[in-house]
Amino acid sequence: MDVTQDPRDDDQEILDDLSEALREAAPLAGMLAEYGRGAYAWRTVDQDLLLASLTFDSSLEPVPERHSEPGESRVLTFTAAPLSLELEVMPGHVVGQIVPPGPGEIRVETAEGVTLTVEADDIGFFDLPHVPSGPVRLRCDTPVARLVTDWIRL
Amino acid sequence: MDHGDNPVSWLVDAAGSGNERAWQEIVDRYAPLLASVIGRFRLTPAERQDIAQTVWLRLVEHLGSLREPRALPMWIITTGRRECMRCLSEQRRAVPRDPLDPSWLTTPAEEAEPAGELMRAERHEALLAGLAELPSRQRDLLLLLMEDPPLSYAQISERTGIAPGSIGPTRARALERLRHCAVVRYHVAER
Repeated sequence: MDVTQDPRDDDQEILDDLSEALREAAPLAGMLAEYGRGAYAWRTVDQDLLLASLTFDSSLEPVPERHSEPGESRVLTFTAAPLSLELEVMPGHVVGQIVPPGPGEIRVETAEGVTLTVEADDIGFFDLPHVPSGPVRLRCDTPVARLVTDWIRL
Repeated sequence: MDHGDNPVSWLVDAAGSGNERAWQEIVDRYAPLLASVIGRFRLTPAERQDIAQTVWLRLVEHLGSLREPRALPMWIITTGRRECMRCLSEQRRAVPRDPLDPSWLTTPAEEAEPAGELMRAERHEALLAGLAELPSRQRDLLLLLMEDPPLSYAQISERTGIAPGSIGPTRARALERLRHCAVVRYHVAER
């Protein structure tokens, strides 16, 4: 855009650009909007449930520092206070740790409504034998607190 | 739904406290922006679906914690882009690499887009973000003005209730506001 132009011409130019942006986005936008509409059904209304945000994801670290290899595991951290979750995702297998360490129940939810429940042991370690595809989130109930993680694809 | 000068703040607050119609309007307003972000990456349709679903689901839970509701477009751009990058990094990890060929050390973004294309894509994102936060009356008018084939002022007036003589000035105000938003966002995105 040439900013020295007369603002009137500039109006049409910006409208043309916007029009092009919308046209290019339109086919995908329609499909994405459908997923968006369905997402609200998953809104959490439980005020006592902590939302643990994804605060670390090893797969987003710059590649040269990561020395990424095929089959390497991915480490994720979901943080809330006073409870956090760490996950290590390996091909076809996920292990996790409740922080601070302690027993609890872990439930994996998918956006299709499927739930898988496992128990964490006395030091907060748990093992998910099956990795669901598509978006999932984890709920964690411990004597200390209850949390739900951000939605994530494992 | 129109709620004065700052529809996005209102929509984020309302959707965050249980108003589903407000959520639907957020989705309608921001789906083109998310599509523009995700569409830049070479991904399969199934990957795009998963990423979009993940972004929306996560946003539903973050409505209450967006510190400033007007930060929503940057949240969508950043979260969408991150999920796409991650998906690409997964693809490359699934493929065995030749250790003697260092070309795979470049990041997906560098590999995917030449500088001109990147600037064009970021400008599009900025404009779509700007459009999404216009008051409904201005946004509806611009959408009608961009219809293909073009509508006459009489037809636009009929659909919007804006008098034909007011369409020109409303268009000018909408674009002035859009330009302001878009330029601001564009420069923010550059940093």
